[in-house]
This record gives sequence, structure tokens and C-alpha cells, in this order.
Amino acid sequence: MASSAATSTPAAPRRATDGVYNDTAVRLFALAAVVWGVVGMLVGVIIAAQLAWPQLNLGIPWLSYGRLRPLHTNAVIFAFGGSVLFATAYHVVQRTCQTRLFMPGLALFTFWAWQLVIVAAAITLPLGLTQGKEYAELEWPIDLLIAVVWVSYAIVFFGTIGTRKVRHIYVANWFFGAFIIAVALLHIVNSVAIPAGLFKSYSAYSGVQDAMIQWWYGHNAVGFFLTAGFLGIMYYYIPKQAERPIYSYRLSIVHFWALIFTYMWAGPHHLHYTALPDWAQSVGMVFSLVLLAPSWGGMINGIMTLSGAWHKLRDDPILKFLIVSLSFYGMSTFEGPMMSIKTVNALSHYTDWTVGHVHSGALGWVGLISMGALYHLIPRLFGRTAMFSVKAIELHFWIATIGIVLYIAAMWIAGVMQGLMWRAVNADGTLVYTFVESVKATYPYYVVRLVGGLLYLTGMLIMAWNVVMTVRSGKAVAAPIPVVAAAHA
Amino acid sequence: MTAATAIPANAPLSVVDDPIEQGRYTRWVTGAAGERLGESSLQLSGMYCAACAGLIEHAIHGVDGVHSVQVSAAAQRATVRWDPERTRPSALIEAVRGAGYDAVPDAAAPARALRRREHRQALWRLFVASFCAMQVMMLATPSYVAGPGELAPDLWQLLAWGSWLLSLPVLAFSAAPFFSGAWRALRQRHISMDVPVALGLAITFIASSGATFDPGGIFGDEVYFDSLTMFVSFLLGARYLELLARHRAAVALESALARLPETAWRVAADGSIEAISVHRLRPGDLVRVPVGQAFPADGVLQGGATQADESLLSGESQAVLKTGDAALVAGSTNLGAPVLMRVQRVGADTRFEAIVSMMRSAMSQRPASARLADRWAAPFLWVVLLLAAGGAAVWSVIDPARAVWVAVAVLIVTCPCALSLAAPAALTAAARGLARRGVMVQRLDAIETLATAQHFFFDKTGTLTEDRLHLAAVRLTAAAQAAGVDAARAAALAASLAAWSTHPLSRALATATAAEAADGVPAAHPAWSAIEELPGRGLSAADEAGRIWRLGAQAWVDATAAGDPAAQVWLGCDGRALATFEFQEALRPGTAEALQALRAEGVAITVLTGDTSERAQALAARIGVADVRAGATPEAKLAAVIAAQAAGHRVAMVGDGINDAPVLARADVSLAMGQGALVSRSQADAVIASNRLGDLVRARRTARQALRIVRQNFIWAGAYNALCIPLALIGWLPPWAAGLGMALSSLVVVFNALRAAR
Amino acid sequence: MDSLYLLIPLSVALVLAILAVFGWALHGGQFEDLESEAERILTEEDRPLDSDQASGKSPREQSRDLI
Repeated sequence: MASSAATSTPAAPRRATDGVYNDTAVRLFALAAVVWGVVGMLVGVIIAAQLAWPQLNLGIPWLSYGRLRPLHTNAVIFAFGGSVLFATAYHVVQRTCQTRLFMPGLALFTFWAWQLVIVAAAITLPLGLTQGKEYAELEWPIDLLIAVVWVSYAIVFFGTIGTRKVRHIYVANWFFGAFIIAVALLHIVNSVAIPAGLFKSYSAYSGVQDAMIQWWYGHNAVGFFLTAGFLGIMYYYIPKQAERPIYSYRLSIVHFWALIFTYMWAGPHHLHYTALPDWAQSVGMVFSLVLLAPSWGGMINGIMTLSGAWHKLRDDPILKFLIVSLSFYGMSTFEGPMMSIKTVNALSHYTDWTVGHVHSGALGWVGLISMGALYHLIPRLFGRTAMFSVKAIELHFWIATIGIVLYIAAMWIAGVMQGLMWRAVNADGTLVYTFVESVKATYPYYVVRLVGGLLYLTGMLIMAWNVVMTVRSGKAVAAPIPVVAAAHA
Repeated sequence: MTAATAIPANAPLSVVDDPIEQGRYTRWVTGAAGERLGESSLQLSGMYCAACAGLIEHAIHGVDGVHSVQVSAAAQRATVRWDPERTRPSALIEAVRGAGYDAVPDAAAPARALRRREHRQALWRLFVASFCAMQVMMLATPSYVAGPGELAPDLWQLLAWGSWLLSLPVLAFSAAPFFSGAWRALRQRHISMDVPVALGLAITFIASSGATFDPGGIFGDEVYFDSLTMFVSFLLGARYLELLARHRAAVALESALARLPETAWRVAADGSIEAISVHRLRPGDLVRVPVGQAFPADGVLQGGATQADESLLSGESQAVLKTGDAALVAGSTNLGAPVLMRVQRVGADTRFEAIVSMMRSAMSQRPASARLADRWAAPFLWVVLLLAAGGAAVWSVIDPARAVWVAVAVLIVTCPCALSLAAPAALTAAARGLARRGVMVQRLDAIETLATAQHFFFDKTGTLTEDRLHLAAVRLTAAAQAAGVDAARAAALAASLAAWSTHPLSRALATATAAEAADGVPAAHPAWSAIEELPGRGLSAADEAGRIWRLGAQAWVDATAAGDPAAQVWLGCDGRALATFEFQEALRPGTAEALQALRAEGVAITVLTGDTSERAQALAARIGVADVRAGATPEAKLAAVIAAQAAGHRVAMVGDGINDAPVLARADVSLAMGQGALVSRSQADAVIASNRLGDLVRARRTARQALRIVRQNFIWAGAYNALCIPLALIGWLPPWAAGLGMALSSLVVVFNALRAAR
Repeated sequence: MDSLYLLIPLSVALVLAILAVFGWALHGGQFEDLESEAERILTEEDRPLDSDQASGKSPREQSRDLI
């Protein structure tokens, strides 16, 4: 299977570099991530405020909650999260394969086309042009563009792996690869629609069938876009920042395959007590519970990498981001299966507990690991070894963490309260509370959540400032690809 | 013993380049440009960190003609592709040495490649089975959780179809070893455990396929694909663990193979000496054998005198004096002085090889120890088939639609699973426990035999005793007392002189005093000059004052001294004896207690030795063994074991030497000492790596425990079957219960088996 | 539950594809010598240089397809 790579003629100096990595797309995506992070979180803060004070809808359709909410979700998941994934995948695949990007021009295309997708979303969603499917709201022309970008992404990524100079494919690349393929599959299947105008289409599926496919997509989007992809980030940047190898590399490989084994069937847990057949709901519940084990295996692997070097956490705020993100990952992957149990779900469904769960994963796991990775990556892309201000990183960490805690605590309390209020019945079977009473009771928690979100946004703004200062004081440099002696056959 | 010329300093490495030797660690591949490249495997040493790998890679890469290097830090191995037109393996090793490390050819590479293939194949089968089993389980879950009527029939069929498709690779590929094993057994008109397993799998699959594609037909409408695939996964999982255990034992053995190839120094007609591979020797060649090396072939001494250590070949614990044109045996060690030897027999014709081939033929006649499980397989199978057929017959009268399914349910629920896991799971766990305690098991079946062996044969030299002598007593003569030399001083003087010799008695002296000087008082000793060693007589040297000291045979040290039959070595100065030294064979620590413990457990013990009768009896007295056969040749040892087997005993053999190899091959179960000869270690069923006989006793206890656990597992499996078969016959066992019961019973067996590791 | 007529054949095909990928990885030696692979990412040299030190050869010319 593998064989040695023929090096250049024996006369070539052995210490010369074979070339430089292509980090242009990496740089662009990394900076874009910071920008879209601020934007997405800002929209989040706006809609959180609107929930507390509906006057803030201002009577303007383009600023109404219903239209801004999908803008928020798409911005944070696809604009922010997506940019982080593109940047880190392109960075990691080159470094671990010790070769340049395959078709760097295509990588640049993915950047500009992705920005086009985001801008298109920013325009169409406030205009009310939507397919109405969660995390898949964008209309069919944009869906097509996403598909084109994604295929290009796959070509660049797998092409780089195919031309690697190191035989072994580092575990992070497996996670990235699975994420790319899974998202392609999910997006294409779920977005199949019949156009009825430039920005209007009808899903090829209908009713409860559409719901099943939508949540097959929705949950696996979480599973592959927000989990597998970011686990890839974790498996590279934690060892690099901690300067220690992953606790158990063997476990990381087992973790990967175990996750692949079980992920596809958890979708129905979004549809408990709906028109979905009971048995399908039960299947979703069972396999959501099964997912707990592989998820925690990955978490333990990442955290234990610091085993024997816990003191580094004290002094290194970037490590704080990376390691604490894993604790939130563990928390969310425990909370999720619990919530997919039917009896628990009977209380939590449609309440703000679900929102709390999503945000502990999004702010705690995805957000913090992205920030940690970017703080490690950005200085190096600009010829520096550290960010402009390490103190600012520390400040960011604490502000963000407090923000997260406020957010999810508020949502837990609100959610459980809502669930209890909605199911409270009088002796004669009538409801104790009207719906609006539960809304009123939720109000204070919406305010607390807003404060949490504001803190989180503030942290992001600090990061933006820090990044600007870092870029200004550094310069874009090309990193050399080390000569892999003769190839590691 | 005239050395014509000094032996060239870098000679050892050049043997590495000899094509005959290269074949052991190098294979030939084609490079990128179509050129012929050698791919050699080198075992590295001196690596203490991951960075060392990079340094070694860099060093080797610096050699002109190297195409690629891959160093594995964990395995301490380097794989190098090199151009035979531009470089040689010796240059590679020199490069490694230049970097501060060392390398030897890795002759275990072919065996390792074989093991890697075996491991990959096993892992692949296991992965396919377990991955598909997981997916099939997902597809099967809806039918378990759906209430009656909730699952539309065509949806049910879709799920069944998906399960069918995913079971195909499991059956056709992963389960293939069971089918081929069953076929082989049946062809030999013999029923092994593979037969009921294969039958169960086949019938389950056929019946489930029928239900999938023709629901409501003769196969009914239940599918068992999840039970089928889970079953295969469990079995393969157990086999995989067995394989890991076996491979671990093999790796431990192979670490001994890592050394430079055997070199012989051939003397040419013009008196020059060249280093060649021993495999190039021909009868009639003249070779020079330095002290400490093994004689490379059978031959005759060409003048001079020396002493040879033939203990590994004959069990003779004393060094044998060789003078004149004495016969020299390949494999024995030259102790006394460098000598010349005329080669008479090489390769397969030597005494060494004769013993090895005797071993091989003994192996093929070894009584077959039928595995416990296989003995149960036949009756079990017949009972199950009868019950299934009987059940089907009865039901075909009552309700024909269920007849086939009752039969199928009986076959599935009887789950050969627990039965086929019962023994391997326990034995593998026991092997792991034994490995932790210093006994490496190379054949798992041997554990069963070790537990039931009633007659233990022990070799003496090197098995019961350590391969060195130890100083038993120092006696001073009147002259010593007059000169004020005490025992400690005498021993110290003797030891410092003995340090110049490799004779076993000298080494014993040196170790004895080293142990005593450990309490910090360094024995001051003279600077010896004019040191000479005369075989058969001893050492002589002059101290600073010019006095001549002699250490060795009495006649040579001081002919006038009064005799002392117990003394083996005399120390004298200027012809006057000062002290005598008596030596004893050093018993391995714990030997007497170990043999006592074995006897207490009802085991008969016999000591077989090639050593002389007096020494054998002396030792036997020390350890309390009555049955001792001395002066035994390998043929005689073999005959003793065969006789015991003919008398109906289960025989265990514990040995270490080359001469023990045939007996180890023939005994029902054999154990070799970790320090023993390579051929014995590779032949034996288990290796006592710790060299402690106490571990043998513990190993036997573990084996008996393992056997008890195997029996418990069988009883459990039997009880489970006895309970479930009637339920299945009545038709009360729903599919999920059958599958669950099967999984649970297997888990019980596996967890019980884990106790065997303690 | 008609959507399953799409999702189940899709997942079966996916399973077979995943098996193929695992087989390729296993027989290609991806699971060998895992300890040094974990270390490898830490030992690569990654000092930035001026971009005009780039060599002329494309990666295609320098490496062979290792699949």
C-alpha cells in the first residue's frame, strides 16, 4: 500500500525546505470567524432583548424576532462555526500531512463563496425568504451554492490527504473528513426541494416524513458539524498548546469509530410525543443514550492530556479555553441523552430548557474551543508566538464563562418552570395556568439570559480587539514545510 | 593454540552483509524507479525517548544509498530501504552506532510480518462483525419496541431487508473461519465445537432470510439477524483476545533472537583469518574459536588444550577437558583457551541438529490432548438436533406453521455461544494472569493439561540449579595461618586472579567475593602480571613482589599438600598451598519448597539429568527427591517420558537445555526455563520467564483454577440450555428473550472467566 | 413512515461505505505504531519564513500518491 516517496535527487541539500504551506485561506477564514462571531452574537443579543422587550421589534418586519432568529442561528453555526472549521481544517491538514493544500485556488474560492453564502443569508432571512426548516432555512439557490462550496471543500481537504508525505493520517483528520462527508450527505438529502420561484421552494418531503428527515439532518448536523468537526480541532490544538501528546492515541481512534457507529439514529429524539410513531421515538431515545459512552471517551481523552501538567492551566488562558470547553462538552453530552428520555422530554420539550441545552453546547463547547484554537492559530499566522495581550485572553475567558453560566442557569430554571406550569392541572382537569402567565413568569429569566449573552458578546469584542492588535503588530508569513527526510513510508 | 594473525576489529559487522545472513532480515522490493532495493529490519537499542527516533532516522538517512527510513520508537525498530549498488547493511549499523545507539539485524521480521497479517485479518473480521451487528441491532429495535400493529408490514420488511443485507458480510466473511473449521472437522469425521456453531449460524440465517422474503411462509415471520450477528461478534471477540495473548508470548520469545549473526573465524591456507557466517562452513575447514564462543560445528581439536561447557547438550554440569584431538561438539562453549578446530560435520549433521530433529519427530507423535470443549461438542450436537427435530415433529401435528420456527428457536436458544466461549475465555484470562507472574504461555491448550498432569519430570542442570556454581567452603592450610592470610583474604586473592578466566569455577569465585565485598570493604589485590591459563591445570600469575601464585588443580598448585577430596580449586603461592575452595551447584532459590508443594498436591516427581550419578544424588538429597535418573542422554530422557505415558500418566516436563528439547516436545505439557536454550524455549508450551520454580507451582494452581472455571462455565451453559429448551419447545420463548438470553449467558461466561486471571 | 424508505437504504449503503474505509485504513497500516504518531505533531518544525523562500516544485512533483 504505502511506499517511500522518492525524494529529489540525492544532490539536493537535505535541510532545504520543500516549500511553504499555503495559509492564505486559513488566515482569511480565521479573521472572518472573529468578525462573524461578533455579528452572530450581536444578533443573538438583539433577539434575546426582543424576547424580554418585544417593543424592540420596532414594528419593522426585517428586524422582527421571527426573521432575526434564523439569522442568528445561521450566523453563529455556519458563519462563525463554519469559518472556524474551514480555517482549522485547512491548517491542520497541511501540518499533519506535511504538504501544501491541494488546489489552493479552490480553497480561496471556498472562502469567497462562503462569504457570499453568509451575505446572501444576511439579506434573504430578514426579508423573510425561508424554507422554514431549522438550521436549513436558506432558500434553494443558496443551498445550491452551499453544495458547490462543500464539494470544493471536500476536494481540497481529501486532495491534500491524498498527496500527503506522511503515511499515517492523524486522528484529527478523520474527524474532519467524517464531518465534511456527513454534512454533504445531510445537506443534500434534506435540502431536496422543488423550486417555485427564485427564492421560494417546497420541500420534496411533507408532513411528518419531512419532520423525520429534517431532524435526521438537524441532529446529525449537530453531531457532525458541531461535534465531529470540533473534536478534530480539539485533537490537534490541545496537544499543540499543551505541548504534550494526546493522553491515549489509541483511545482517540476507538472514540472516532465508536461515534461513527452510533450517531446516525439519534434524530427522532427531537420528535417525542409528536405525530412520529411511538416506536421511532423510542429508537431515537435508546440510541441517544448509547451515544453517551463514546462522547465521554473523547472528553476524557482530551482532558487527561494535561495529566501530569495541570499547573499549565493556571498560567495559560488558552489552555483554559480548550480544557473548559471539554467540560461543557461532557455536560452537554450527558444532558442531551437525559433529555431524550421520553419522560424527561415530556417536561422539557418546547421549553427554554432546550434552549439552555443548545447554548451550553454552543457557547460552552463550540464557542470556547473555537476561541482557544483561534488564539493559538492567529498569532502563528502572523509571525508571532503569542497574541498581543495574554491578559486580555484571560479576561475574555472569565467574562465568557460567567456569561455561559448565567445563560444556562437562567434557561434551566425557566425551562423547568415552564414545563411544570404547562402541565399543572386542576382537580377538574383544567389547566392551572394560562400560557401568557408562563410567559410573564419567564420574563426575569429572559433578562438574566440577556445579561449572560451580553457578557459573552463582550468577551468576543475583547477578542476582536486583541486580534486586530495582533495582526497589526505581526506580518503574514509563510511557514516552511519541513523536509520529511525520506518519506515516512 | 597459535593465533596466526589478530582478528580484525570490525569483522563482526561484515558478516551482516553475507547474503546468507541477509536473507533473515532483508527482503527485496522494487523502488519507485524500478530499481531493486533491499528492505531491512533492524532492532535498535539505547533509545530512551521519542526524539531518539528522529536522531536515528537522520543518522541512517545520512548514509549514501538509503532511500527511506522509518523508525518506530515504541517497538525500537528501524525499517530501511537501501540501494544494494551503493550501500550495505553494515554501513547502516555503523551509522546507528555513530549516532550513539546500537542496532542488530532483526531476524524476527518475517515472523512478525506473519503475526501482523494474522492480527489484521482477525481485527478486520471482528470489526465487520461488530459494526454490522450494531447497525442490525438498530434496525431490529423498532420491532422490539413497537406494540402489536404499530409497525406497518412493509416497513417491517424494509427493516428486515436492511438487516439481511448487513448480515451478509458477517456470515460470508467474518464467520468464514467457523464454517471452514467445521468443514475440516467433518471431513476428518470428527466433531469440533465449530460444527454446532456453523450449523446454528446457517440455520438461523436461512430461516431468517425465509421470513424476510416470504413472511408468513414456512419460515414464519420472525427474524434473528441481530442474534446472529451479535453471536458472531462475541465469538470473534473471544478469538481475538486469544490471538493477542498468543502474540504477546511470541514477542517475548523473539526478543532473544535479536543478536548479530553467528560468526566463525575461518583460517585460510596462508594463515590469514576471515570472519564468515557459520552457515558457510564446510567439513575440512579450519576454524579458530575464541574463548567464550560456541563451537560453530562438530569437529576435532587441532592441538592445544581447552575446556568446554557441554551442559546445554548433555546436562553435564562440569566443564569437560579437551586435549589432543578430542571431539568438539557444535553448540558447546569454549571455556579454556582459544583453539583451532578442524570441522567435521556442519549444519544438519551436527549433534545439535540431531537433537533438534529428534525433537521434531517427537512432536508429531505427541498424544493429542483433545480440547475439553471439543469433547462435549459431539454429544451436545446430537442432543440438540434430536430435540429440534422432535419439537418440529410434534408441532407439525399441532400447528404446522410453527414447526420450523420451534426447531429454529431450539437451535438458537441452545446457543453454542456460551459453550464455545467457556474454555477460550477462561484460558485466555488465565494466560494473562500467568504472564503477569512470569510464566509465558505459548499454547493455550497446555493450561488444561498442566492442571491435570500427575507426573512431573525435571531436568537438573539449569532447571533445578542455576547455571553457575557457588562457593560452599574455604579451608585454610597451616601455611596460610602462618602467613596471616585469613579466609576472606584468600578468597579475595583467588577471585582477583580468577577474574582472568571464564571457567565456571572461576566465575563462581568471582561472584562469591563480589557479594561479600558488597558491604563496602574493597579487597585490595595485587596487580597481576605474566598471567597464564593452562587447561586442566589452572591460572598462574606473578604479583608485584614477583611471587608466583597459582590457582587450580591441586597437583599443579602444590604437589606436596595433603589431599582434600572435597576441594576443587587450590590457591598457592610459590608452590605452597594456602587455601582450598569447595563448590556446589547452586540450587535455584525456592526449588526445595516448590517441589515440596508439588508433592503435597499429589504429583510424582522424577529428576532426569545427563550429569554424573554422584552429583545427581547429592542434589536429590538436598531437595528430597527419590527418583533420580543420572547419566541420561536425550534418547534416554525421551524413553523415560514415553514409558511414563505408556503407563497412563499425564506427563509434564520442565527443562532448559538443548538436550531437553525432544522431551519437551513429547511430554503432554512442557515448560522451559527463561534462561534456557533457544530451541527449548521455542519448543515448550510455556516459558518460566522468571526462572523461579515457585512460579511453576503457582502456574499449576492457576491452571487448576482455570479448569474449575471452565467446568463452571459448562455447567452454567448446560443449566441455561436445560431451562430454555423446554420453553422454546413449548413456544414460549419470544425472539427478544432468546437473543437476550444468549447475550446474557455469554456475558456470564466471559465475566466468570475473568476470575481465572487472578 | 415513508421517509424510512429513503433513510434506511441510505444508511445501509453508508454502513458498507464505512466498512470499506475502515478496511482501507486497516490494511494500509493506519493503525500501526500509534504512540509515535501522537508525538509526531509536536515535533514538526514550524518557524515562519519569508514567502520568497518557496521552492518551485509543486507538491505533486515532490510526493507520490500514498493511497
